[in-house]
Amino acid sequence: MCRHCGCSLTPESPGRVVEVIQDLLAENDRIAAHNRAHFDEHGVLAINVMSSPGAGKTALLEATIVALKGSCRIAVIEGDLATDNDAVRIRSHGVPAIQITTGAACHLDAQRVHAALHELPLAELDLLFIENVGNLVCPAAFDLGQHRNVTLLSVTEGDDKPAKYPVIFRASDLVVLSKIDLIDVMDDFDPARAAAALQGLGGETPMIETAVRRTPTMTAWLDWIQAELRGRAGIYERIPARGPLSAPISSGVGG
Amino acid sequence: MHELSICQALLNQVNHVAVDAGCEHIEKITIAIGPLAGVEPGLLASAFAVMKIGGCAAQATLIIESDGVRVECAACGKVSETAANRLVCPACRGYRTRVVAGTELRLMRVELRAAVCARSVN
Repeated sequence: MCRHCGCSLTPESPGRVVEVIQDLLAENDRIAAHNRAHFDEHGVLAINVMSSPGAGKTALLEATIVALKGSCRIAVIEGDLATDNDAVRIRSHGVPAIQITTGAACHLDAQRVHAALHELPLAELDLLFIENVGNLVCPAAFDLGQHRNVTLLSVTEGDDKPAKYPVIFRASDLVVLSKIDLIDVMDDFDPARAAAALQGLGGETPMIETAVRRTPTMTAWLDWIQAELRGRAGIYERIPARGPLSAPISSGVGG
Repeated sequence: MHELSICQALLNQVNHVAVDAGCEHIEKITIAIGPLAGVEPGLLASAFAVMKIGGCAAQATLIIESDGVRVECAACGKVSETAANRLVCPACRGYRTRVVAGTELRLMRVELRAAVCARSVN
């Protein structure tokens, strides 16, 4: 008993150990689940697009918008360290693009995406691309609320990247070998070695090839998106009465 | 350097634990980081050394546990240890595997320093 005020703690009390066992990203994951509920409420398919800088994320999205604009309503959230160059490129195709400038931060997180969602007309969309910051390490750790992860691996990089960056490639639902039209001059990149490195991570992640410049190669990519859109539409049809979100996000985390 | 974001989340969580326990000082924090968590333990420890200053964890030591990667094979059912970038079954080379350990990024426990009654030190 403490001599001064009668409380049960004394300077000689032993330390207390509190067992917690909680994910360090629990708060990010909570907001990510909220974002996903937003997408589901509006029937929007959300795809998180990741790669190293310069693998051709924005170019692929531009070509995708041109190909799908007549058949589906698209918007893009752009993550960039310092500029809005990519958002300007996307907007030039007549679709909404929200820029998130991350400053020194090397990845998007669920809270930043949540803030951007409120600037988007979700009710008027079918497909939302979230173009993450170019980086093969940090974006892999943060759930944004997306339904699918797509990681680009351009043939101007090393074909062993899946083995070097297992976390991001293992989290991918699809790996896109981009700039495949350059393969003839990139004679040290072997698609078979890239596929073997990806298979070494277990699972059955498909790998497809794309090119958007010299000899456009888009069929497998567009087919994959169409299949995902149909799959999502099927899920939503089975839940006919979707009520409003029951758990609004608390204040102080982006409203 | 997303370790800064992770460290901020860690400090927020341990701060809540300390406030809930009515304690102002944390002695020791134990976290678990798997090789597939995408977080570099050394960088997180460096971030912690700087970011803890001024808070209730200012004097705290950070213990980082890592348990290695284990996969369970859908074909042979075996659970085996393996490398982070080699997640096929080491036993039968089956590629339909599930990672059962190695992705954790968790706060495990917080050791609070013996509380000193606020009035007793005045």
